[in-house]
Amino acid sequence: MPDPSRRAFLITTAGSLAALALVPELEATGPRRLPEPKLIGLVGLGRQGRAITAELLKIDGAKLVAVADTNPARLKSGVERTAAVEGFADHRTMLEKRRDLDAVIVATPTHLHRAIVADALQANKHVYCEAPLAHSAADAQAIAAAAAGAPSRIFMAGFQGRSNPVYRLARDFYRTDAFRDFVGGTALYHRKTSWRFPASEGMGDRDANWRLDPELSSGLAGEIGAQQFDVFHWLRNKTPVRATGAGAIRFHKDGRKVADTVTATLTWDDGTTLHFDASLANSLGAQQETVNGTNGSFRLAWTHGWMFKEVDAPTLGWEVYALRQQFHSDEGIILIADATKLAAQGQLKAGVGLPYTPLYYALADFLRSVAYPTVPVPCSAQDGLKATLVGIAVNEAVVKGETVEIGA
Amino acid sequence: MACEVRLALAAMGTRFELVIQGRYEPVLRAAGEAALEAIETAHRELTRFEPSSLLSHIRRAGRDRPVPLTVPMVALFADAQAVWRASDGAFDPTTADGAGFEAVELDFAAGTVRLRKDVALDFGAIGKGHALELAAAVLREHGVTSAFLHGGTSSAVAIGAPPGEQGWRVGLEGDDAPVLTLADAALSVSGARGRQIPDGDDWVSHVTDPRSGDPLTGDGRVAVIGPCARLADAWSTAALVLGRRPAALGPEWDVLLGAGGRWTRDAPSLSFYGGSS
Repeated sequence: MPDPSRRAFLITTAGSLAALALVPELEATGPRRLPEPKLIGLVGLGRQGRAITAELLKIDGAKLVAVADTNPARLKSGVERTAAVEGFADHRTMLEKRRDLDAVIVATPTHLHRAIVADALQANKHVYCEAPLAHSAADAQAIAAAAAGAPSRIFMAGFQGRSNPVYRLARDFYRTDAFRDFVGGTALYHRKTSWRFPASEGMGDRDANWRLDPELSSGLAGEIGAQQFDVFHWLRNKTPVRATGAGAIRFHKDGRKVADTVTATLTWDDGTTLHFDASLANSLGAQQETVNGTNGSFRLAWTHGWMFKEVDAPTLGWEVYALRQQFHSDEGIILIADATKLAAQGQLKAGVGLPYTPLYYALADFLRSVAYPTVPVPCSAQDGLKATLVGIAVNEAVVKGETVEIGA
Repeated sequence: MACEVRLALAAMGTRFELVIQGRYEPVLRAAGEAALEAIETAHRELTRFEPSSLLSHIRRAGRDRPVPLTVPMVALFADAQAVWRASDGAFDPTTADGAGFEAVELDFAAGTVRLRKDVALDFGAIGKGHALELAAAVLREHGVTSAFLHGGTSSAVAIGAPPGEQGWRVGLEGDDAPVLTLADAALSVSGARGRQIPDGDDWVSHVTDPRSGDPLTGDGRVAVIGPCARLADAWSTAALVLGRRPAALGPEWDVLLGAGGRWTRDAPSLSFYGGSS
């Protein structure tokens, strides 16, 4: 059980709030600073690249000095968006001209990761590769092998749950009597969007809409679900052994082949299951995971988290202090990291919700390992490989509509 | 074949809506969703209610050191500062806790902002225009030539015109209210009674005069039309506070003033065909 002197605490509030919220520790959630500046090159200036740019600006010492994108319009817009950044038409030119880079962040379309990661490691750069690592098992394995072949370089796969302070707090509780034995879980991703992107000038539709190309895309399960599945791998310290699934086009009937609505069941070797429900046709619930145990459950929604106790579960000493929130007939304890300190300052409510985005914490963890190489990254190449392979396998189950065994 | 796509998003405490016209529905939808993403990003950066917003980050970190900004955020701060200065403080995006926008130190060359005092920023009077400006830029970048965007019906941008029309027709609220025809122009409407907040047993305007800290009285309303949604948004608040057309506004801007449900206008025409930025 977590040491109550160091763990999240819940504080009772007046009014209708009655759920327990997870608030991360200040040290865990607060601003990150690097001991000395690190020069960073970013490859890929699409949506994720832009989000990364914005988050890097918030990390003291993270100096984004070079960006690369093969699309001239996107490169121009990316360079204009950030002060004092040098643009390159491809990653190889960037690596050649900016030998002073400490690290490279790869945020291109998934099917382009392999060559860029290999080139960056070859150029002796630390590498952060967005999740999933690849669209195919062969590429994912090649990336993991390249990382293994460069042991002096830091490599981190961008599965963000492992860096998320609220998720880390939940993981602490997961290992205690507050949760006890795993019963099952669900991963939900609902967002009403076409998943189609407008092609910039000089860009073909296939380049812009690789997510809708069955040859290049691992679909909702691989592209989105893999992030969520990895939360369960990390909590349980093991990956599922098989998956079943089905997909359909419920709303975006524009000629696409990739399903806009997907359901899948992932099964572990002990028979427990994780249900995945994803749709681009409905937005209710957004993105969240539910983890059910015999003594309690977690609802994790990336910037917020809650713990729900079974009524017959042992009473936790700090419960009376907890912030709570009501969800219809259920009452959740808000997960707040470093709640003890916040409570002592009378600031517990200020700890509800992460002060930075999940992406910020993942990038900050990577750069911390770059600055302090003895500090392991939270998601290694092997962790990333496993998560990527599970996502690919689940997508295969969805596409084929049959059971797929997930390799070790 | 011509078609129309309508998309909506809940952000900044209101509803944004886009109407886009063109030829191929999936392409229009993709462009529209990219525009909505720009609005969503602006919301995430500017909300005062989420600790992970850029504004919250600036509040936490901006006292200690200059905080780097993206170029669009620099543009927002620059426009906010310009209107604050040109309106003699009638528009001030700092909350009424005394410090004022002079406590905000911008370094345009470095692209940073620093807070000289513990000041809280509230871009509520310019944020919708900022979001629409970014969204319209995304649509234009992707070749959209006919669209109408609005946030909560009080801030709007017209791109081009509907097919066969001279512009997008927008009716203002009130008796004998004018109907505007907008093409490549931005509109922002502010009213002292647009939204009211409780004050003891009474209700007062949500718009405060930053110079005195007092809520506005009366039932004045203002419509500002010009080339930039972000500036239109800020200037409509400034004009409402001043109760007149701001002297600093150039000839590319039109201002309509209203009170008691009627509009007077200081505009040569009710059609606005701009060269929107």
